[in-house]
Amino acid sequence: MIKNKTAALAGCAALALGLAACGSSNSSSPSTGSVDTLVGAGSTLVAPLVSEWQPEYDKKTKVAVTYGAIGSGGGIAQITARTVDFGASDAPLSEDQFKEAKGVVQIPWALAATVVAYHLEGAPNQLKLTGPVLVEIYKGKITTWNAPQIAALNPGVTLPATKITPIHRSDGSGDTFAFTNYLSHISPEWSSQIGHATEVTFPVGIGAKGNSGVGGAISSTNGAIGYIAIAYVLENKFDYALIKNAAGNYPVPGIPSISAAAKTLTSVPANNEVSIVDPPASAPQAYPISTFTYALVPEKAPKASTLKPFLKWAITEGQTFGPKLDFAPLPEQVVKADEATIEKIGS
Amino acid sequence: MLGREPAPRRALTLRGRAGVADRLGDPGLRLLTWLASGASMVLIALLVYKVFDQAGESISHFGLGFVTANVWNPVTRRFGAGSFIYGTAVSSLIALLIAGPMAIAIALFLTELAPLRVRRPVATLVELLAAIPSVVLGLWGIIVMAPFLNNTLEPALRSLLGWMPLFAGSASPFGLLPAILILTIMTVPIVAAVTREVFQTVPTELKESALALGSTRWEMVRMVILPYAKSGIVGASILGLGRALGEAIAVTQVIGDETGIHASLFAPADTLASRVASTYQGATSTLEISSLAYLSAILLVFALIANAIARLIVRRSTLRMRAAGPRPGLAVTVAEAQA
Repeated sequence: MIKNKTAALAGCAALALGLAACGSSNSSSPSTGSVDTLVGAGSTLVAPLVSEWQPEYDKKTKVAVTYGAIGSGGGIAQITARTVDFGASDAPLSEDQFKEAKGVVQIPWALAATVVAYHLEGAPNQLKLTGPVLVEIYKGKITTWNAPQIAALNPGVTLPATKITPIHRSDGSGDTFAFTNYLSHISPEWSSQIGHATEVTFPVGIGAKGNSGVGGAISSTNGAIGYIAIAYVLENKFDYALIKNAAGNYPVPGIPSISAAAKTLTSVPANNEVSIVDPPASAPQAYPISTFTYALVPEKAPKASTLKPFLKWAITEGQTFGPKLDFAPLPEQVVKADEATIEKIGS
Repeated sequence: MLGREPAPRRALTLRGRAGVADRLGDPGLRLLTWLASGASMVLIALLVYKVFDQAGESISHFGLGFVTANVWNPVTRRFGAGSFIYGTAVSSLIALLIAGPMAIAIALFLTELAPLRVRRPVATLVELLAAIPSVVLGLWGIIVMAPFLNNTLEPALRSLLGWMPLFAGSASPFGLLPAILILTIMTVPIVAAVTREVFQTVPTELKESALALGSTRWEMVRMVILPYAKSGIVGASILGLGRALGEAIAVTQVIGDETGIHASLFAPADTLASRVASTYQGATSTLEISSLAYLSAILLVFALIANAIARLIVRRSTLRMRAAGPRPGLAVTVAEAQA
C-alpha cells in the first residue's frame, strides 16, 4: 500500500517535471486521425457566427468544427505555425504577414458593421455625426457635446455642454480596424499620423478591453462615445449616432444599409483584400463603417478535402445564419472570388 | 500526551511485516520531496528562460532604450516600457501609501483595542476582502466607482488640491486614481493580516511593563509595539507591494489603458501587467508579442526584487524575535500570504 502510494506520488512528480520540460512547446494542436474534425482559431468578432455554424454543419456533414476565439493576432500566429486547420482575422494580412505565413490565402467570409454608440444625458438617440467630426473628436479637437460642429449637424436639438470622453478598444480588434480604416479614408491626416490597424495608438481617450469593456465604460460615463460591434449595440440598446455617408444621407446601421454598402464593391483583388468603408455616393443608403472578416487557410492543407466543403458552405449557406447576429450576407463578387480561391487549395 | 502511549505497541506489530516499507519509506520520501522541490525550481527556471527568450527579438531590436521609451505603436512597430513602468510604480506606491497606515490601524485595533468578541469576526471580514476575485473588484470599479470618481470625488479633489499637478486636469472615470483605489482595496487585507501576526509577537511583558510605568495606550503603541514590529511591518508592506505590482485584470478594467505619462492622477495610464493582459491576445506582429514579453521580463525583475527585499527584512525580524522569545507564527503567515 505504502509503496504503491509512494510510487504513484513519485509518478506525479515526474509528470510535473515532464510537463515543465515540455512547457515551452505550443500546446494546442488539431486532433489527428479522424478526418471529421476541423480546428480553427482567431477573431472574436466572427466567433458568434462560427458557433452558430458548428451544430448546423455537424448535423449536416458529421464534421465537428472546433473554434477558439483567441483574437485575430492569435489566429494569424496559429495558422502561421500551422497548429490549426484555419485561422481567422478581422484585418487582412499585411505583406510581411503573408511572407511569414508562407502560402496562406485569405477568404473574406463574414461582413459586419461597427456602430458609434454614446451616452449623453439630456440628448436624444440617433444624433447625427460626420466622419470629419469623428476624426476631430478622436484627435481631441472637439471636446464638448455642444461644440458648434456637432450642433450644426443636429438643428433643433439642445445639446448639453458635457465633456466628450472618447473610448476605444485597448485590445486588438476588428472594430478598431473598421473604425480607423473609416477615419483614414475620411482624413489623410489621420491616415498619416495614426493609420489603421486592429490596434492603433489613439491620441486621446480611454481604452477598454473588448466590446463589453467599451460598453461598460460608455454606460457608466456621461458624455462617453465609443465604437462597438453592431450586434452588441443593438442587443444592449445603446444610443448610437447616425453617420453621414458620401451621398449626404444618414442611414440607420443594419443589414439593409450594410448590404447597400457591400453592393458598391466592383472588383475583388487577387489577395481578396476588400474594403467597403466610406462607400461612394452612388449608393444613397449605404452605411459607411463596415468591415469584412477573413478566414486564413494554407494553400497546401493536409485536410483540404474536409476544409474546402466547409469553407464553401460557410460563404454560401452559412451566410443565412448571419442576419440574426447582424452579419450581412457576403456580396456576390466576394462569394465568386472566394470560390475561386477555395478551388486552389490542395493537399 | 494521550497519543504517545500506544505508540510502542504499534511499532512492535509493524516490525514484523513492514520491513520492506520501512526500508523504502525513507528513500521514497527523500526522492519525492527532492522531485517536488526540483520540479518547482525547474519550472521557475524554465519560465524565466522562456520569458527572456520570447523577449529576445524585442531586446535585440530596441535594446535598453526600450525601458525608457514612452511609446506603444503597433502601426509603426515602435514599442517601449517607459509609461508602463511609471504607471506601475506610481499606482503601486501610492496604493501602498494609503493601504499601509490603514492596515496598521486595523492590525492594532484587532490585537490591542477591539473587544475580544469582535476580534475574530472583524479579522475574518478583513481577510475575506482578499478573497474577492480581482475581476469582480474591477467590475465594481467600472460600474460603481468610475461614475463616483468622475462626478464627485475628482471634482472635489481638484477644487481642494488643484494647485498640485497630481490633482489638476479634468476628471475622468478611468485613470490612475481608480487603479490606485482598487489596488489599495486589494493590498489592505494582506498587509493587515501579516501586520497583525507581527503585533501578536510583541512580548506581553514589554507591553505590560510600559503600561506599568504609567504610559498611556498610545504611548505603549508608539514606543513598544511599533518599534518592535517595524521590520515586520516593512516586510508586510513589501508583500502588499508585490501584490499591487503584478495585478493585471482589475487594473486593466479601470486604468484607461493609455500610453503616456501625465502628471495628473485623473488621466488614463497603464501598467506593465495591465498592458500585457489587455494587448497580448490581439497582438499582430511578432515584434509586438516579443515586446510584451519584454514588459513581462521587466515586471518579473521588479517582483523578484520586491520579494527578495521582503524576505530579507522578514528574516531579519524573525531572527531578532526568535532571540527575544520563540514565536514561529510570522514566518508561516508570510509564506501563506505569498501563496
